[in-house]
Amino acid sequence: MKYLMLIAIAFPVVWGACLPFLRFEETDRSSRNKYALTGALITSALVFVNVFNFKSNDGFQLIQLTNKMSIVFDIDALSCVFLCMIAVLWPLAVLYAWEYMHHEGRENKFFSFYLMTYGIVIGLACSANLVTFYLLYECLTFATIPLVMHAMDRRAIKAGRKYFMYSIAGAATAFVGIMFLVEYGTSLDFVYGGTLDLVKIGSQQNLILLGYILTFFGFGVKAAVFPFHGWLPSAGVAPTPVTALLHAVAVVKAGVFAIMRVTYYSFGAAFLAGTWAQSIVLGFACFTIVFGSVCAWKQQHLKKRFAYSTISNLSYILLGVGMMCPEGLAAGLAHMLIHGIMKICLFFCVGVVMEKTHREYVPEIEGMGKVMPVTFGCFTIGALSLSGIPLFAGFISKAALGTASVSSGLPLGLVGLCALLISAVLTAAYTFEIVIKAFFPSKGFNTRTLCEFKDPTWQMKTPLIVLSVLMILIGLHGTELMNLLSKIAMNLL
Amino acid sequence: MALVQNFPFLSIILTLSGGVICSVLKGHGARKYSTFVLCTVLIGSLLTLAHVLSTGEAYVYMMGHFPAPWGNEIRVGILETMMAALFSGIMLLSLMGGMHHIFEDTEDTKSNLYFTLVMLLSASLLALVYTNDLFTGYVFVEINTIASCALVMIRYRSGKALVATVRYLFMSLLGSGLFLIGITILYDITGHLLMENIAESVAVLFKTGTYAFPLSVVIVLFSMGLAIKSACFPFHTWLPGAHGNATVSSSSILSGLVLKGYIFLLIKIFYRVIGMEIIFQQRATNVLFIFGVLAMIVGSIKAIQEKDLKRMLAYSSVAQIGYIFLGIGLGTEAGIAAACLHIIVHAITKPMLFTACGGFMDVSGGSKKFSELQGAGLRDKLSGFAFIVGAMSMIGIPFFAGFISKVYLTTSAIETLSLKTVIALAALAISTLLNACYYIPAMLVLFTHPKKEPVSVHPRPKAMSLSLWMFIGLNFLMGCFSQPIVNAVIQGIAMFR
Amino acid sequence: MLGYFLGLVLFPMLSGVLCLVPAFKDDRKRNLFVAAVLGLNFVFVLLSFMQEGAFELLHLTDHLALRFMFDGAGRFFLLLSGLMFLMVGIYSFEYMSHEHNRPRFYLFYLLTLGALNGVCLSGNYMTLYCFFELMSLLSMPLVLHSQTNESIAAAKKYLLYSVFGASLGLGGFFLFTVYGGSTAFVAGGVVADALHHPLQLSSDLLFQRNMLLIGAFLAIVGFGAKAGMMPLHAWLPTAHPVAPACASAVLSGVITKAGVLAILRVVYFLYGSNFLVDTWVQYAWVTLILLTVLVGSTLAYKEKILKKRLAYSSVSQVSYVLFGLAGLNAWSLTGALLHAAAHSMIKDVLFMSAGSIIMHGHTERADRIDGMGRKMPMTFACITVASLGLIGIPPLFGYISKWYLCTGALMTYRNFFSWLGPVVLLISALLTAGYLFTLTINGYLKNETAESDAHEAGALMLLPMVILCALIVICGLAPKLVMQLIEFINTIA
Repeated sequence: MKYLMLIAIAFPVVWGACLPFLRFEETDRSSRNKYALTGALITSALVFVNVFNFKSNDGFQLIQLTNKMSIVFDIDALSCVFLCMIAVLWPLAVLYAWEYMHHEGRENKFFSFYLMTYGIVIGLACSANLVTFYLLYECLTFATIPLVMHAMDRRAIKAGRKYFMYSIAGAATAFVGIMFLVEYGTSLDFVYGGTLDLVKIGSQQNLILLGYILTFFGFGVKAAVFPFHGWLPSAGVAPTPVTALLHAVAVVKAGVFAIMRVTYYSFGAAFLAGTWAQSIVLGFACFTIVFGSVCAWKQQHLKKRFAYSTISNLSYILLGVGMMCPEGLAAGLAHMLIHGIMKICLFFCVGVVMEKTHREYVPEIEGMGKVMPVTFGCFTIGALSLSGIPLFAGFISKAALGTASVSSGLPLGLVGLCALLISAVLTAAYTFEIVIKAFFPSKGFNTRTLCEFKDPTWQMKTPLIVLSVLMILIGLHGTELMNLLSKIAMNLL
Repeated sequence: MALVQNFPFLSIILTLSGGVICSVLKGHGARKYSTFVLCTVLIGSLLTLAHVLSTGEAYVYMMGHFPAPWGNEIRVGILETMMAALFSGIMLLSLMGGMHHIFEDTEDTKSNLYFTLVMLLSASLLALVYTNDLFTGYVFVEINTIASCALVMIRYRSGKALVATVRYLFMSLLGSGLFLIGITILYDITGHLLMENIAESVAVLFKTGTYAFPLSVVIVLFSMGLAIKSACFPFHTWLPGAHGNATVSSSSILSGLVLKGYIFLLIKIFYRVIGMEIIFQQRATNVLFIFGVLAMIVGSIKAIQEKDLKRMLAYSSVAQIGYIFLGIGLGTEAGIAAACLHIIVHAITKPMLFTACGGFMDVSGGSKKFSELQGAGLRDKLSGFAFIVGAMSMIGIPFFAGFISKVYLTTSAIETLSLKTVIALAALAISTLLNACYYIPAMLVLFTHPKKEPVSVHPRPKAMSLSLWMFIGLNFLMGCFSQPIVNAVIQGIAMFR
Repeated sequence: MLGYFLGLVLFPMLSGVLCLVPAFKDDRKRNLFVAAVLGLNFVFVLLSFMQEGAFELLHLTDHLALRFMFDGAGRFFLLLSGLMFLMVGIYSFEYMSHEHNRPRFYLFYLLTLGALNGVCLSGNYMTLYCFFELMSLLSMPLVLHSQTNESIAAAKKYLLYSVFGASLGLGGFFLFTVYGGSTAFVAGGVVADALHHPLQLSSDLLFQRNMLLIGAFLAIVGFGAKAGMMPLHAWLPTAHPVAPACASAVLSGVITKAGVLAILRVVYFLYGSNFLVDTWVQYAWVTLILLTVLVGSTLAYKEKILKKRLAYSSVSQVSYVLFGLAGLNAWSLTGALLHAAAHSMIKDVLFMSAGSIIMHGHTERADRIDGMGRKMPMTFACITVASLGLIGIPPLFGYISKWYLCTGALMTYRNFFSWLGPVVLLISALLTAGYLFTLTINGYLKNETAESDAHEAGALMLLPMVILCALIVICGLAPKLVMQLIEFINTIA
């Protein structure tokens, strides 16, 4: 059984690495795409087998690096949440990329790194201690740099450089924080409640809190916490499958997941609750929530707008996590999942528009709702969900976050509630602006100028429709999901 | 006395004589003979290491069985034999990696002299490692200087190499000079040259408080002298020129080994001549700490600006020496252990990078500039892979050697909390980022397809492939199974007193 | 009960969607269909009067459920909205004949009706919020129907204010869930009696009470946005004029009352009038209301564009209703609900007349209607009747409500509010006379401008106006008819 976990991690890496050697012709799209999709589907199947059997999994130590550090993989309930999310979304993204990458070129290299990244993210979810996690975190950065720089023009190279500089700086800072745990913790394993050696810490509490803050901001770079969010909008120059999956789902959620692990499973929420460190975390989360939404509202470039929206939404999750209580963690997990679905759908819709019409700015999409009804229909559902309208998925997580914020009793919790509400209004503003523009063009607009544009083929439509249906289903009946997440957050699973 | 205990002395004799023998052999004969000598030294050192580990204590070897103060002594412990094994092994691999370049870069009639110099260098390194006598130390320091300068200069076609050599010689001799003055003063005060004897006298002097000022001056002179020679900031300006313009194996040897020999001597002097307590009181380590931090940052910044791969690697060495001085400057035993670990790590990484660089030059028409090297990693895949391994190690990614030394440096900084901890942690974090800032673009350039095909492509000789594979293996070994080595280092330092 | 829910909420919504089918491209067929739907809806409303009780439809999560209930308050507003939508619907058949994209208008008209019925039937805070948001979203396309740049901007403003107001309401929801308990509506409120008296409370309970008060205030201000209360009233004068007249009628006459109902539910069915009486919440609320009344009337007096004048008038008049709600006693509440009914009918007549003036008199401005009364006698007669009612002249409908409002104010308020309220209402009545009588005077008594080609409106437009005027007179003469409908007041105040 433990080997199955390793196979799930190694298989996509190997499958992806082999792709360039199979010498697919650049024009032989069909076989290469099928190869990639098969790889993604098999991996997802392996992941689901692992998830359903996670209780009987004992963990696997790959290698012992030093006395205190080893590379160990194991699956616990928290991993399962992350794994389910990526296992569902990755094949959809590969399917979407079939048609999208048609116009970008160099697909061999693209799909190769795309699949390898999948394996690395699975490994990240399955990491059982901080060293393993740190190793795979760095690998994730290296594997995604070529994806960001895919276009290889000046903008892309600049964006890639910004991305890796931010990421490595973040990882280096987090490394320093991790070393505090080596010194003052009983072990580096992820154990619910933390592994700090309180006896050894004694009265040096502030020092450990400082270590936590360093780790928070270090991993917070990938989670786009202000002021380390700058790489995310620039990374929007990457092809849409990359932005959608990596920068809305995989990479940024890895950052958030890191903070969850470090807060609840390494330092321990009980140690952190009520301290100045918690105030800093909540403060920056609240600020980023509003800051991201304001920037998104002012931004006119479609992808950059949703990049800022991602920045804001990631801090929703951090707000929940920062509450340092099980309700907060459950709310954060809910938003992690649901936001992944929403944002990937929105980015896919934007990608369709950009790829089919080559228009990148909001004022240019006037009237397109008529010629691309499916695309903009799914976009509307995504907009409704992101704004938190009841009956759609986004409301479920927003309600959980709001309730957790208020019930925590902290003053910063109430500030967080205000931030959430302000952000909701701004979200409605910047998403519905697009919906209105698309479906209600101004008087005198001649829709005949758009007649050559139409909805994409089934490869790009299917993910859109699947995601929209998911959003509605979860929105109408999220009971089981929230119960499951609550149990996981209280370590009852 | 066990047979194997004789070996350290034998290794010095073997290499010294090897130098003489190589000068009369022809080029390829010299090559074979020096390879043979290095292999022997390597194996012998490993055997001695095993012996010392099993007995668990260091021993002193009197040469010619004449006791002090007339005879000469060497002292053999775990750390010394480890370093000896390391130095000879890396020397061997570096030679193998750059062998074909040696024959290209030197005049045909003079190529055997290269191996003479290598032998002399080995001898002096081994002597520095083992010596228990200050003046012997000085003698071999001078031999080391001359040999390494000549190694740079021997690349006859390069005018730049000549200029660099002269600069190197000036700075080195300045350092040696300071070192000599220090020895003179110390001899004057204490009347001894053997390290243990000096240590006793120094302890007495320190307690009574006499000659306090001269003692401080001595410490300063030793530190500065050896710091200049090991290219510590701000005395590093000679390094990029020297290492950047020498032939491939020279760069490897100089970067990876020569500098380390001087640092090791410095550590020895701190421990066995002056005594660590006095050093801490004099706050000499603080100065080294500051220089180390500055080196880490300035070295990396300069490396980012470089357009020439070899000079970039040379500046990277400056930064890495900074790491070592940071470890020493922390002033704890854990810090010194971390510094020794980093000596080992850097010694197995930097020569690999230089060798890979040599491989890139081979497939890019002999140029070292980034503009010409685009795609070289794809043309010479083994060198490319080795470069990636080395770069990952320098940045500090788990699984690679560099991660281990970074971890130990960090934990030793955290162990005793003070202002130094904060500065050290900040410097380590910034330095990691800066390292990434020049290694990653380098890798990107090396692995993107070039716009046009290069002019000439040499096939890679077997020796170079073998050396690269061994370097890679050593790197992963250190990264994954470092615990025994770490234990040995810590034990060795405890034995050092 | 489920059947009535389906009939009142889903049936109009589905019919709205059906309006888009190709078979209904023909105006006549579609108008017949819409008339039938509206008529059926009215019948359902009347039939539902026999229903009593509540049921839960759907659980979004364990803590969030969609709950519906049939009670007196809901029935009252259902009847009101059903009647108005029917009348305005009939009117619209002729009015919309000169607007474009008619199927889309009826789509959103019927969708809004369905959502509105959902608001009326809401049985807990969550359901109220859900349908409130849906109603805002679905009524927005009515505002931007003409798709001029102005109307699109006005629609965005409407959306933002609505969403922001609803967000504040959501904030109140979170506070109530945590500190109040169950959010199901119960007549008289669910807040524990212990919290009613601030002086005897421990600090924990005091904190809880303060949080509840803050939540109440947020909800009042938030839902008050829809009712045009300061400070969130600014959307109303922008949005109502640019919409087609039938949409304005519905927005002013009915949808503002949805805001009133929301506040009614929150104040009387969740918090309870006993909890809020004599608190800072009540006094702040009344201050805002009185300001709105004055400012609204003053601005209406100065406004020259007809529909905008009527919009400001709505701002002012709906705050009369809120004034009654804020009194927190039976007399004031009676006055409030009577005025709600009166204002609906009156404002609808006024807007319909304005639409008739725009369509057949070819002018939008109140200073260009000189002498039109002779060419359009029925229209101006209706205007006169409605004006008399609004100002409060007996025996028309508006008089009774004003009487109750003033009496209730004098009876309840402790300090200067008791006389301030009636004084403000009086001043406002004078201003109302000012801005409404000028219409009648100019229309009948002045000489007409030279080239006016005005003519009377058609039967479809006049019929609803006449019916409503008749109702205004009848209800004024026999208010007991209406009083019977609002007997439920006794259970809540």
